[in-house]
Amino acid sequence: MNKMNELLKIQHLSKYYYNKNALNDVNLSLEKGKIYGLLGPNGSGKTTLMKIIAGLHKQTSGEVLLNNRPLSYKTKANISYMPTENFFYDSFKVKDIVKFYSDMYEDFQVESAFNTLEKIKVDPEFSISKLSSGLVGKLKVALALSRNVELYMLDEPLNGVDVLSRDVIIDLITRSCGENKVIVVSTHLVSEIEKILDSLIFLKDGTIALAGDAEELRMSRCTSVEGIYKEVFGND
Amino acid sequence: MIKLIKYEFIKKYRLIAITIIASITLNIYLITRSASGGIAFLSLFPMIMGVLFIVDIIKMYSDDLNKKSGYMLFMTPNSGYKIIVSKMITAVIEGLAILLLYFIFIIINGAYMTFQSGVEVNFNDIIYIVNNIISGSFGFNLAHIFVFMLTVLLFLISFLTTIYTAMTIRKSIFSETKFGGVLSFVIFLLLNWGISFVSSKLFNVLDPYYYTFDFSSQVTASELAHTFLPMNILSIVQIILLTLCSGYLLEKKINL
Repeated sequence: MNKMNELLKIQHLSKYYYNKNALNDVNLSLEKGKIYGLLGPNGSGKTTLMKIIAGLHKQTSGEVLLNNRPLSYKTKANISYMPTENFFYDSFKVKDIVKFYSDMYEDFQVESAFNTLEKIKVDPEFSISKLSSGLVGKLKVALALSRNVELYMLDEPLNGVDVLSRDVIIDLITRSCGENKVIVVSTHLVSEIEKILDSLIFLKDGTIALAGDAEELRMSRCTSVEGIYKEVFGND
Repeated sequence: MIKLIKYEFIKKYRLIAITIIASITLNIYLITRSASGGIAFLSLFPMIMGVLFIVDIIKMYSDDLNKKSGYMLFMTPNSGYKIIVSKMITAVIEGLAILLLYFIFIIINGAYMTFQSGVEVNFNDIIYIVNNIISGSFGFNLAHIFVFMLTVLLFLISFLTTIYTAMTIRKSIFSETKFGGVLSFVIFLLLNWGISFVSSKLFNVLDPYYYTFDFSSQVTASELAHTFLPMNILSIVQIILLTLCSGYLLEKKINL
């Protein structure tokens, strides 16, 4: 891999909980200009990995480098993470959340955020506490992708989102990927998103079971990404 | 920092509005029912607000550490030190606002009760009292009040820092253990025990005069400041050390 093109490097990353080994000696390198699919069943370590990179969890051992710098509060300025949970303040309206993002992140593009909200039919006057899970899902994606950073991580961006809106979200993800950016998407809905994935990372019990270029993996195994998913995790 | 503090208050603006409206309503109800209603309110207010204040400042930090909404704060590119200091400043502003509200109620109720009793108010008397306080004719002056308020403020901030440090330790070093709330309380007790142990040693070394001071005689402001000096030094050291400890843990060890 071209070192100049490497955005994120993960070396010997492990995370232990008191009764569980969530990640075990994970080594990864993510290249700029690509959309990565982080795939695996529940409990495989996808969310833990993303939360460590986002600075919400701390690893037990190992190192994560973003542009060759260890993670710190400063690197958070270059990472846009969309957690799978509803993490917005309940008492806020959608427009207040947009204002919060605009105040906290210098790279946040307010106009683009409002345009996206209009496109996905989320009214800025809505209260967060009254939003359906589908609308919350769309809002999370819209805000995460309205930042101008190098690394985007979307944890289950299609969860709870209706079929028509899924296409809009997939389109938004595709448009957000530039030559200096990396997008990592974790999802269970493999078939819906596989067309936009450049590279695949299959996580199984906290270790990387398989990783590589999506097209090469499809060709070598003569099946779709969903087919590879079933091959890797089929016996679980 | 200012933005973090701003959003702390935006998050709780409804609670603030409800508290002020409820206080005014209760006060009006009590002072219009009986002559002693105003006194009853002024007695109740510090007790109720004291409990609410403690609950609120704990909840303010606990929610960020234990609820998913904490991601909003911890995903932002703000250092752990900035986050913990912004929480403490918010809590101090909140405490001072409650104190200010209390003084306003004292003035309003005092004026109302004086008016109701039919006593004629002579503003010269009020000016005379204020002048006496400033000149120290009552045995204390503004400098005494300043020294006392500074000591209370430092004590309040050091108390807050201890609470927040206990919660941070629980959510970082002991993040994988169960019974979070109980554990935070145990850590808080242990921290206080440690601080009491160190302070007793420190007081002996710093100022034996602290123990022999005769409070029954009249004291000057500088004597009062001297008396409170060991306690204030300890509070400042405690605030600095525990803030650094919390900031470091938020930065390096936090598991949300």
